[in-house]
Amino acid sequence: MRNKKTMAVLTCCLFLTLMIISCSVMEEGAGIFDKVSKLVKSDKETVTKTTKAVRSSFGDISEEEEYYIGRAVSALILSRYSVYNDEALNQYVNKVGKAVVFHSDRPETYAGYHFLILDTEEVNALSAPSGFIFISKGLLKRCQDEDMLGCILAHEVGHVQEKHGLQAIKNSRLIDAFTLIGQKAVQKYGPEKLNKLTDIFEGALSDIAEKLIERGYDRKYEYEADRLSIKIASQTGYDPNRLMGFLETMKQESSQKDAKGWFKTHPSAADRIEGAQKEISSLTYIPEKVPVRSMRFNKAVQGLK
Amino acid sequence: MKKPSVLTVFLVLFFLLVTLLIAKSFVVKIKITHLREAPQFYAQSLAVLKNGEGVEQLEVQGSWIKVKSSQGLTGWVHISAVKPKQFALVQVADSLKTETSADEVALAGKGFNKQVEGKYKARNPNISFVMVDKMLEIEISSSEIKSFLKSGRLGEFRGKE
Repeated sequence: MRNKKTMAVLTCCLFLTLMIISCSVMEEGAGIFDKVSKLVKSDKETVTKTTKAVRSSFGDISEEEEYYIGRAVSALILSRYSVYNDEALNQYVNKVGKAVVFHSDRPETYAGYHFLILDTEEVNALSAPSGFIFISKGLLKRCQDEDMLGCILAHEVGHVQEKHGLQAIKNSRLIDAFTLIGQKAVQKYGPEKLNKLTDIFEGALSDIAEKLIERGYDRKYEYEADRLSIKIASQTGYDPNRLMGFLETMKQESSQKDAKGWFKTHPSAADRIEGAQKEISSLTYIPEKVPVRSMRFNKAVQGLK
Repeated sequence: MKKPSVLTVFLVLFFLLVTLLIAKSFVVKIKITHLREAPQFYAQSLAVLKNGEGVEQLEVQGSWIKVKSSQGLTGWVHISAVKPKQFALVQVADSLKTETSADEVALAGKGFNKQVEGKYKARNPNISFVMVDKMLEIEISSSEIKSFLKSGRLGEFRGKE
């Protein structure tokens, strides 16, 4: 009788302790991410939320899904613009981009970051989810040095890091997708489910394309990307004042009203300069321009037509 | 020799179980990442870790985690490439196994995937993915990026002649 009682108590203890440990292990995992300051906000939310295994917002989109969304958004961009076919210059832009990416809070995405020059005189830079980043020839022509290019690319990396593109997707669309996808593993979708899922995919793409290509991101996202540009560029070793240098140039450009993306809508270059100045003044260390970087920049862009 | 009591056996088993459970585990959440020799992106790669592969944490240094891979290799992974492994409470209570259950592993290949992209392509033949695939082929090697940072006095080479 006594033995039975002991066993019952021990079994209860074991079960309860297991529950506590299981929860604490999950919290521990999230805790490690918390300790590390360099983690994207949405990832932190996801880590905590996934303990419930229910998906409900853009932060629950998996890395793989984000990659497929990013691919399709990029295909839409590349159906509007041609690629500037200069392999050496594209390699150089990728090197500057990677240098910046490595000093961001989200240096690893599903298939990594890739940069491409668009053959257009428009002054524009675009970033599709998961790290597909585009810079126009027109914008590149207005860049005066590598530090300025680094700041512009860091702004775009900031959009990817904070998943601003994914945040453009209507939440009701995501709920529909998550409900349809469910929790069970599948090998292949049947025709009906595939059709519905593709409908939602197309809807999500149009949500992103409207923001990214047509209207530009909301004011708060642009300010956030500027703030991140200054942080990431200075961590890389680029002079963050060059972001302001670029905005100053654009403020004076008469073509500003024709520009897309960066300069098409709000906030104005003047407002952005003010925000950037505040951010720079809060830095404890400001790297300076180094002549060797300007020299290699000039060499890389000398053939730009 | 005195026979161990039920309580002693329980405590020993319990200790083993706790040790097993509190090991901090992560899974790779991106397509592939590298197990690196040092906490740097251009450090030598010791092994390629694939999506869903589990690693055990040994220590944390900034944004890098020193881990032990399933093959028993020790190296560094960046925190943005992994996420904490999820434990299924029912499975733990049932069979004392620490199987991964949720999220990345179960979601692998689900949702917006290759099959959905295929359907999208069929519906929109005017949207070409050829250049997207070419864009993905642009790769900068670890040695190239290291020498780029070094010659431009960037990153850890900041301010060095």
